[in-house]
Amino acid sequence: MKVEGDHLFKAPREVVFEMFNDPDALGAAVPGMQKMVKIDESHYEAVLGIRVGPVSANFSGTLALTDVVPPESVTLIVEGKGGAGFVKGVGYVKFEDLGDQTTLLKYTGEANIGGTLASVGQRMIDSVAKSMFKTVFEKLDKILEERWQKS
Amino acid sequence: MTTGKYFGKSVLRLEDKNMLTGNVKYMDDIEIPGQLHAAFLRSDYAHARILKIDVSEALKRPGVVAIYTAEDFGDFWKPGPLLVPPPTAIDGSQFNARTLVPIAKDKIRYSGEVLAVVIAESRYIAEDAFDDIIIDVDPLPAVVDLEKAWEDTSVLVHDDLPSNMAALVKQEVGSYEEAKKKADVVVSRRMLIEHVAGAAMENRGFIASWDDQNQVMTIWANTQSPLTIRGSVARALNLAESQVHVITPFIGGGFGPKVMTSLSDDVLLPWISLKLKRPIKWMEDRRENFLATTSERDQVHHCEIVLKKDGTILGFKDVFYHNTGAYDSYGMTVPLNTQTHTISNYRVPNFYSEIRMVFTNQMVVTPVRGAGRSEGVFAMERMLDFAAKELGISPVEIRLKNLLKAEELPLNTGVIGQDFVVNILDSGDYLGNYQKCLAEIDYDKFRKEIQPKARAEGKRMGIGMVAFTEGTAVGPYEGCKITVSTSGKVTMATGYSTQGQAHYTVFAQIIADQLNVKIEDVRVVTGDTNLFAWGAGTFASRGAALVGAAAYLAAQKVRAKIFSTASKKLEVPEEEIELCEGSVCVKGQPETSIPLGMLASLANPMRGVVEPGVEPGLEATAYYGPPHGSTGSGAMGVIVSIDEETNKPTIERMVMVDDCGTVINPLVVEGQLQGGISMGIGNTLYERLVYDENGQLLTASFMDYLMPLATDMPEKLEIIHNHAESSLKVNPLGIKGVGEAGAIPPGPAIVQAIEDAFGVAGFEILETNLSPSQIYEYLKKAAK
Amino acid sequence: MSEKLFPITVTVNGEEYHREVEARLLLSDFLRHDLGLLGTHVGCEHGICGACTIIFDGEPIRSCLIFAVQANGHDIRTVESLGTPENLHPLQQSFHEKHALQCGFCTPGFLMTLVPYLEEHPNPSREEIREAIDGNICRCTGYEKIVEAVQDAAEKLSQKK
Repeated sequence: MKVEGDHLFKAPREVVFEMFNDPDALGAAVPGMQKMVKIDESHYEAVLGIRVGPVSANFSGTLALTDVVPPESVTLIVEGKGGAGFVKGVGYVKFEDLGDQTTLLKYTGEANIGGTLASVGQRMIDSVAKSMFKTVFEKLDKILEERWQKS
Repeated sequence: MTTGKYFGKSVLRLEDKNMLTGNVKYMDDIEIPGQLHAAFLRSDYAHARILKIDVSEALKRPGVVAIYTAEDFGDFWKPGPLLVPPPTAIDGSQFNARTLVPIAKDKIRYSGEVLAVVIAESRYIAEDAFDDIIIDVDPLPAVVDLEKAWEDTSVLVHDDLPSNMAALVKQEVGSYEEAKKKADVVVSRRMLIEHVAGAAMENRGFIASWDDQNQVMTIWANTQSPLTIRGSVARALNLAESQVHVITPFIGGGFGPKVMTSLSDDVLLPWISLKLKRPIKWMEDRRENFLATTSERDQVHHCEIVLKKDGTILGFKDVFYHNTGAYDSYGMTVPLNTQTHTISNYRVPNFYSEIRMVFTNQMVVTPVRGAGRSEGVFAMERMLDFAAKELGISPVEIRLKNLLKAEELPLNTGVIGQDFVVNILDSGDYLGNYQKCLAEIDYDKFRKEIQPKARAEGKRMGIGMVAFTEGTAVGPYEGCKITVSTSGKVTMATGYSTQGQAHYTVFAQIIADQLNVKIEDVRVVTGDTNLFAWGAGTFASRGAALVGAAAYLAAQKVRAKIFSTASKKLEVPEEEIELCEGSVCVKGQPETSIPLGMLASLANPMRGVVEPGVEPGLEATAYYGPPHGSTGSGAMGVIVSIDEETNKPTIERMVMVDDCGTVINPLVVEGQLQGGISMGIGNTLYERLVYDENGQLLTASFMDYLMPLATDMPEKLEIIHNHAESSLKVNPLGIKGVGEAGAIPPGPAIVQAIEDAFGVAGFEILETNLSPSQIYEYLKKAAK
Repeated sequence: MSEKLFPITVTVNGEEYHREVEARLLLSDFLRHDLGLLGTHVGCEHGICGACTIIFDGEPIRSCLIFAVQANGHDIRTVESLGTPENLHPLQQSFHEKHALQCGFCTPGFLMTLVPYLEEHPNPSREEIREAIDGNICRCTGYEKIVEAVQDAAEKLSQKK
């Protein structure tokens, strides 16, 4: 499965980038996230509940940040597995400073999906992924609003 | 014998009334007191090395009794048997046997392969325990693409082989290359035949129950081959065959995959039952059925046809890749069927066919209704269409020119088939079938009136007209035992098993006529190995021909015994005796008679003397094995219309002409053909098993695997039985099989009709399984 | 960690049953394994094939798609409520006469879909029948003879009235 998209944040690039490195912010933004713990500078452990059509299950896995170039770009490597299969993905995230205290986030990525998630949920995965991204960005917008405007 | 009181008549099925009222037991209806439930934890990965499987947490769950991984089976773990022998009858053939394993050990070779068996008090608890099992694997790239896998040796399904080649088999009749030199026209194409499922409505199931006191393993299985299961269980557990009793309950459809033993159930569960001394039950769910029950088709054909200017075929060449999945326990039945059926209804003097059978990281491929025949027929029929276009003649003309005529049969095609004997087209009127179909669908009227009128109104309508053969009734043999009881009722027992084919009725029709009893008084028992212990199994459309012939022969033996016993009792010569309904009477003196039941008592005297050489009881066993299979044949015409906006084809009319030899029950034959047709339509327009590049099956539910529904059937469907009086009767009753015929011609007929409906130059369909969006893609290609 | 049990009362084929069930127990499993009504068959467990169709308060539903606890206080009819082998329901009789079943596994689902349908549509056309059974999968028959049987049953039932 390939994903691609962008989102405009109303905050300066450094602030957006910083938020992306904050497990609390990310954890709060991802729907179904039950736990997100920072292991070291670039590794997180997470437990995530996912529901795709008739398939719903908990996934536990790791998130690794590599090729971190503050505040321009980061590569995310996700590996998760659970009762309903596994997900392995890599995402490339770029932060473009558009000036005027706005930042355009662009992402591309590819995910490998296996198990029940693939064999039964495949048809719905694209739309679930899209709606998940939408929710994540909406939540991040809110978090930003609180953080950025408070500060 | 062509007709009798029952034989040849549309007798209503004896089994129906109990089935209609929920009074028969299917697999999941069998409950054994004290039974435990098994659930198989299956691999999410298609190809991976197993690093560790930790079940310790799962074992702590209340209700979980035991969990087994490959390690726990110790020396008992071994690859299963090769169920069909290698094609050594074909010179130069190469075959690498890598048979199915009961549970993955060290390496996972397809997504859905069993990793652990959980035994628990309920199925719910067994599946709960999956969550607690920790599986650590090292994923490997998956082998999915057939053509790539043949060349590419960087990723191997079986590490001990130099490549992913499962088999290479070449057969040639005449000389294709010589024929090509003389040809006016050479046409070549690459075509795909998509992967489809058997998808019986009932999933598979298995119960193993060890009786410690009697030292007998009782098995309930909804298998097409109970005797194979009996043999494999006995072998695996080192028991005598007589210590294994296999019973088939009513079976909710077979269609091929239920002939295969999957080993996880039939090898592991008896072992576990023996160990735990408890009955163990497993019932497959639908996702497992898609992932781990065998399926079929999936071939890539590279075809070439060479012809004279007038359309006469000079030669045909087909190099095709056949997906065998991760293992090849079922040998080469499917691709060999493809090889024999590619040319089987046409005059093809020079033929070259090469099977490249490939291991992939997918579920094992074994026969599904049609079983390789559909693929061969599709390849040939499509190539004729392309050749006709090239020559500027109609698809009908090219077929009329090349179809075999009745007087050309029997014909030895020189191609060795799935039964390892040379394919002999025994009888039939292939050209006559086609002409009859043309007349019935009124081909000329469609071309001259209906299609031009539709086009003038801006509607897309097209016609497709194809021919086919169905190789059926192959050996080795089947048999049965017929017993007249002292109640006068007759029981027939066979090792054959039943999945809805009306065996309880059609075998009874044969026997009731031979013994002159009421059909209700004949009870047929199928698939209970304690009642009849010889036979091969239900496959290749062979029941009516082989078991039917055995029933006829056994009934004649019983009949002879009835006459000799009655002759002695009545003290009249046998010539003066006849069978009255349910009794034996003296000709011309109907008042002097003995009921069959009384005769059965007399044949089993409790005192006195049985004459030497006479066996007690009115009972006889007979077997029948044909020298070679018998080939059914036919033709199909299809008229489709295409929705303007969505490209969705609707089958307006379908005419099928079929010759399956002598018919025991016309109603049942029609049902078989209609069912086959729906499968052929599904295979062509809706059904498709899709594997992604990582070997993940993406269509493991009926939400994604689309089954043909009532509204997908033709608006008008006509079936014509065109029995050519056989010059050669392969079996005593002249019966040919009919179980798969319906599934064979819809593919090529429908795509030909769709192409015709568009009538767009360059619009060519090169595959089975055609969704409206794929039609759109082909149209885009044509426009370029 | 055994699951909590909930008491339910269900009327099935005119008989009232009191049972205690786990919340997650499917109605299909409850009917088959708790009540022993084995005529209801399970083909896909995801609501597509229609083999497990039963009549729930007069309406055909998929018993694999609801839980037993949801049937608490409701009225259910299964295939066992139709005819007996000696005395078939007219629809069952038509299925027999027209050879509308082969392996018979999907048949109870078809019957339970069609019984309420024929009550509401006593005189359906061939096309209407095809649409009425479009939610039930049969792998054996190709549906032709099922359609014929329904036409035949409609005639039989209307003569009865």
